[in-house]
Amino acid sequence: MTTFVLRRLLQAIPTLIGVGIIAFVLLHIAPGGPAIALAGENAAPARVAQISHELGLDKPPLTQLYIWFSGLLHGDLGYSYQRQASVGSLIAQRLPQTLLLMGSALLVSILIAVPLGVVQAARRNTAFDRIASIAVFVAWSMPTFWFGTLLIAIFAVSLRWFPVGGLQTIDTASFDWPTRIAHLLLPAATLAIISVAGWSRYIRGSMIEQLREDYARTAIAKGLAPRAVLFRHVLRNALIPFITILGTSLPALFGGAIITEQIFAYPGMGQLFWQSATDRDFSTLLGMTMITGALVVLGNLLADVLYGVVDPRVRYD
Amino acid sequence: MVPKRRGPKLTGVARAGLIWIALAILACAMIPLLFGLHSNLTDVANAYAAPSWHHPLGTDGLGRDEMTRLLIGGRVTLAVGAVAAAVAMCIGTIYGALAGFYGGLIDGLLMRLVDVFMSIPTLFLLLFLAALFKGNLITLMIVIGATSWLNPARLVRGEVLTLKERLYVEAARAVGADDARIIFRHVVPNAFGTVVTTTTFMVATAMLAETALSYLGIGVRAPMPSWGNLLSSAQSDLFAGAWWLILPPGLAILLTVCALNFVGDWLRDSRDAGMVGG
Repeated sequence: MTTFVLRRLLQAIPTLIGVGIIAFVLLHIAPGGPAIALAGENAAPARVAQISHELGLDKPPLTQLYIWFSGLLHGDLGYSYQRQASVGSLIAQRLPQTLLLMGSALLVSILIAVPLGVVQAARRNTAFDRIASIAVFVAWSMPTFWFGTLLIAIFAVSLRWFPVGGLQTIDTASFDWPTRIAHLLLPAATLAIISVAGWSRYIRGSMIEQLREDYARTAIAKGLAPRAVLFRHVLRNALIPFITILGTSLPALFGGAIITEQIFAYPGMGQLFWQSATDRDFSTLLGMTMITGALVVLGNLLADVLYGVVDPRVRYD
Repeated sequence: MVPKRRGPKLTGVARAGLIWIALAILACAMIPLLFGLHSNLTDVANAYAAPSWHHPLGTDGLGRDEMTRLLIGGRVTLAVGAVAAAVAMCIGTIYGALAGFYGGLIDGLLMRLVDVFMSIPTLFLLLFLAALFKGNLITLMIVIGATSWLNPARLVRGEVLTLKERLYVEAARAVGADDARIIFRHVVPNAFGTVVTTTTFMVATAMLAETALSYLGIGVRAPMPSWGNLLSSAQSDLFAGAWWLILPPGLAILLTVCALNFVGDWLRDSRDAGMVGG
């Protein structure tokens, strides 16, 4: 087990270096680099050259890459000249909000997708199953921001149950859980819609597959209540491969957070990424891509380890 | 005993999906031509007119006819979906076929690169590229296509891994065909089912990507209409009381993407059923 975790950690290193190189290359094929963005479109060439020199952008690309990576190893993610702050501190401000949003969305998705998939599998090919399948496809096909706006229109503007956006009400100076949660619910529901569809389909399929297994038939034959077979025996086995799906869904959640945070004016990583892309704040973009990549790799690693904990048949050798 | 092969029976939703797609393409392509419609004719005196006989879906803040913009926007969005999917499938098929066919070290390296790309959220890459290459519709199509080839590549690779062991590959090699000929004339055509099924889903994904980018302000640029930017501008028009603008583009996207997903799901199911039967 320990050797497995260590080996997977070692394997993650080339992936992370790859992420860094891709992000770096993308930024440097940009027409007009950060120097132009800082000096302005119509700045004198001499001014652009001076800024380039100050930022070290006139060095050969490989040297810049080396400088960036060695900074990274010392925990330095770079400095954002547009925002006059270190990228690390910018991300540290935003990351907890986004993780909270993503965690809540994960929870909402699981709470909807798992029961839905189980009931659909138990009553497969009934009217309920068909209607639920179509509803799931509709949810899957919906532009996220449209769904979010509909939620705002219904629950925030018409019914006034939840706030329209933001992190918490401006007048509350101190941290207050009830208002935080009220502000979190609509964004989490919006972000969750991306995954609910795919996951409930997956649970349904994997439950149906498990129901055909001998052990399920045996349990039914010996007279166990259908409910007990479904939840105590079948669901447990169906959930094992689901762990991997949870791990691989992280990139989509990070991507979805960009849209969701934009709709709800939620100050997280997604909003910062969008702002940095429009301001051409390259060092922030680079740092955020790196951190996101690291979190995704870590999430997959965690899923793999959990898989082994849940299913002792998995051998690490 | 020869197992009876289950034919691809068209399910109700898949049939409805095919009909909707055909109607949408026909309507967007033909109606503006037949009636000589122009999407950017403004009529400020008639701004924010509610639906009427003259403007079936009302007008927007500049008095442009929403019905016309929806149809022309449909052309744009459908074209973005189709071209971006084609780009993604070309890259993905070639990449996956090479990895699957050569196997070993090449496969390992190529697939590690896919893993690396998969660790970066697609929307990050899209935002990156769309912000870097601000510009016209063609760049948008290429950018969306260039960020969505990873899944096709994986699926095609998996298919090619089994196809390359087939006898006809050995036969082709025996008569002296070179690798390129074997890959592109024998192996890839036999992976056609996977490619077609994946393409259907890719068109749907690409259309949603267009919508998302237009909402973030880096997709299709005004005044050119697209379902994505019609929907995102309708959100602000809502504050001007123009309630009739929000549903048509939203439903158009929803129904078309849904239709594509239904058809793709049906294609996949009928192919799986066919494989069981032999």
